Amino acid sequence: MKNLWHIARALWQTTPAFRLALLYLVLLAAVALALPWLPLAYGPNELDLEQIYQAPFGWNTETDKSQHWLGTDGLGRDVLSNVLYGARTAFAISLPVMTLASLIGLTLGAMAGLYGNRRLYLSRALVAALLFALLPFAYYGLYLPTLLFSQGADYADFFLTGIAAVIFSLLVVVTLTPLFKRLTFLHKKTPFPTDELLLRLIEVQTSIPRLVLILVLAAIVPPTLLALSILLVLTFWTGTARLARAEMLRIRELPFFEAATSLGYTQRRLLFRHALPHLLGPVLVAFSFGLAGLLMLESTLSFLNIGVSTDLVSWGRMIAGIRTNTAAWWLVAIPGAILSLTVLALQTVSYYVLRSLQYKK
Amino acid sequence: MANFVFRRLLLAIPTIWFIASAIFILSKLMPGAFGSAYLAQQEAGYYSRSDAASRDHSYRQFLKITGQDLPLFYFSVTSAALPDTLHRVFPERDRAFLKKLSWQYGDPEAATLFFRSLKTFEASLSESERQKVQEHLIRIYSHKDAAELQQATTGIATQLSATRLSHSQMLENSERLLSQSQGYTYLLPSLQWHGTQSQYHRWLSGLLQGSLGTSLRDGRPVATVLGEAIGNTWWLLLVSMLFATLLAMELAILMVRRSGRIWRSTFLPSLFLLDSVPLFVLAMLLLVLLANPAFLQLFPVYGMGYYNSFDQSWVAQLSQWLQFMALPMLCLVLANLPYLTNQFYQALAAVAGQDYIRTARAKGLSEHRVIRRHMLRNALLPVITLLSDFLPALVAGAVIIETIFAIPGVGRLLIDAVLARDYPVIMGIVVKVAIFRLLSHLLSDLLYALADPRIRSHAA
Repeated sequence: MKNLWHIARALWQTTPAFRLALLYLVLLAAVALALPWLPLAYGPNELDLEQIYQAPFGWNTETDKSQHWLGTDGLGRDVLSNVLYGARTAFAISLPVMTLASLIGLTLGAMAGLYGNRRLYLSRALVAALLFALLPFAYYGLYLPTLLFSQGADYADFFLTGIAAVIFSLLVVVTLTPLFKRLTFLHKKTPFPTDELLLRLIEVQTSIPRLVLILVLAAIVPPTLLALSILLVLTFWTGTARLARAEMLRIRELPFFEAATSLGYTQRRLLFRHALPHLLGPVLVAFSFGLAGLLMLESTLSFLNIGVSTDLVSWGRMIAGIRTNTAAWWLVAIPGAILSLTVLALQTVSYYVLRSLQYKK
Repeated sequence: MANFVFRRLLLAIPTIWFIASAIFILSKLMPGAFGSAYLAQQEAGYYSRSDAASRDHSYRQFLKITGQDLPLFYFSVTSAALPDTLHRVFPERDRAFLKKLSWQYGDPEAATLFFRSLKTFEASLSESERQKVQEHLIRIYSHKDAAELQQATTGIATQLSATRLSHSQMLENSERLLSQSQGYTYLLPSLQWHGTQSQYHRWLSGLLQGSLGTSLRDGRPVATVLGEAIGNTWWLLLVSMLFATLLAMELAILMVRRSGRIWRSTFLPSLFLLDSVPLFVLAMLLLVLLANPAFLQLFPVYGMGYYNSFDQSWVAQLSQWLQFMALPMLCLVLANLPYLTNQFYQALAAVAGQDYIRTARAKGLSEHRVIRRHMLRNALLPVITLLSDFLPALVAGAVIIETIFAIPGVGRLLIDAVLARDYPVIMGIVVKVAIFRLLSHLLSDLLYALADPRIRSHAA
């Protein structure tokens, strides 16, 4: 962390492009945060049907309404406030999604890299019992709560099923493990193929292009923000996981890590005290690259009007407005420029940080 | 080599099966089947005279023909508080009502009986009688607790004569439902075995025999629908891929030359800039600038211009096709150029420092010959795998480009199918894309062996 701070400060002093990109991002974030207190004449979803397709900077003196500085779209929605609120939406979706995806990716990738295929020993009996315990857990812990939720039940019912899920799963594990241990095949301890499992999972998921997968899943789930965010998390964790795994494999071979291992530290201490600080830099770079990709994907989805509801203010929705009137260039130029600039700024920042991280090695 | 290809295939088949099955089952678990919206919408319009009953009947027939009234999987585990035959109840509104009834009172049998008698009772009502009990019926459908149901049924009993009610047995059934209500039945699971009479079995066996099913929208086989669309996408992808690769290679060669400093300082930043423009923004910008009467009308805007292509020679047809395809291809080439050029350049620059390049230069070979004969072949190796990884990105790009330029290809088909929830078509596209990806991996392995004799001899 301290290391990254040094890198950022050095870059700030030496590289003008980095300074410019960072300034732009901070400014955009500040404006997006301060939006409710800014004196905007129009709301983002406010229709002004008397002034549709107004060009930007056009001085109209006929009406006594306030000026649409950056023009309006086909329903008279103000472009300026849509662009600003669009920034808010874009970051409100992409920041939590990318954080969650990075956390999942980091955890799984670091585990896979640390344990490899033959370092995590589990007793076969326990694994088999756990697999069986999944059944009652799935019924009481997942199926019944969703049913209860759809039927609008009380808290007491949720509580009851939760207790049932824990008790039954524990019961299965406790009774089956000693039973399984009597079998000769299940008695042994075998290495758990963590790495192989993760790689297979990633391979299955990436065998369909991400956009196609999201489109298909968006056809299935209802078009709410929560559902879309879950979809995005589920498709974005693979990149970070791959990176964290590769970095972990590299770190594991470094002398200081070998020294720590030979000192007999626990796996937990190895992971948190010795590996994680070195993983953080690359993962943060991947985070900001992923953020840029997520911004693009989110606006593409709202441009195609898939997976999001139509009253969600976003850059993509504004750009989609041009398809009904191709003469309204400002509908694509202004939100498109802001979107591209944001992506460019994110990529510039991560590019320079990545370069100085690699240079240090 | 054959061994390697075989292993790859063996690993890929479970992957495709897993993805396709997961999407199939997920799509069936979520509410909102294809056509249910149609049932709710069309209240007798001017053109459609059909009443609710006949529409209901035709919808049931549609479900029966498409096999959607079957249970989903080989077996099902449900809560014991839900009736076994829930999947056979249509439309979805009735299904939700029955589900609520049996959930609330914890007795699926009594709930089903009451539900059936309620339906027969409703069907037997004449128009004037219906007017009288309408209010109570609505209350039955939306009731929250047992007292409310009791109130509604006694309301109906007072409104109608006793003979009218006797043969539908609704009142008896409602009393039975109320008296037998019990709380925690739902905690027990109930397992049912459906065997091969399930939607999943039908779909999977169809898939294994090469049939992708029929489209829900127009009843045509999915293979036909896909076959019509795949041609356009294929040519769009192939041509733009070729152009992008060649252009990227030439640019990279320009930049890697010793005198290429000026190219490097102009191309690299501008490609970086181009890379941060999302594809759909790029496409819309080009559309606005180059296919717009307000600015420059160089290209036709939408579609493929099919209307007059029958009586033309192939030259005229091709030129017309090119007219319509030029802008979409330009978009795809521009969008993919930065990444490709960067990768080619990195690969070439990595080779440029090698000893054998210095030797080639020392022999007095021209710069042209050094790059084309000595560097390129060695630099190609990492790029080949990259190209095959790159195909999915191209497919995703095709989805966006085809939607914007209204090209009738697979991408647009996917968007249309997603919007209409036409699951057989969606599944067909997913399977095709996965196979496409698999083939591209295989192709890249073969090309890898072709480019590097060491691998060929090692594998053989």
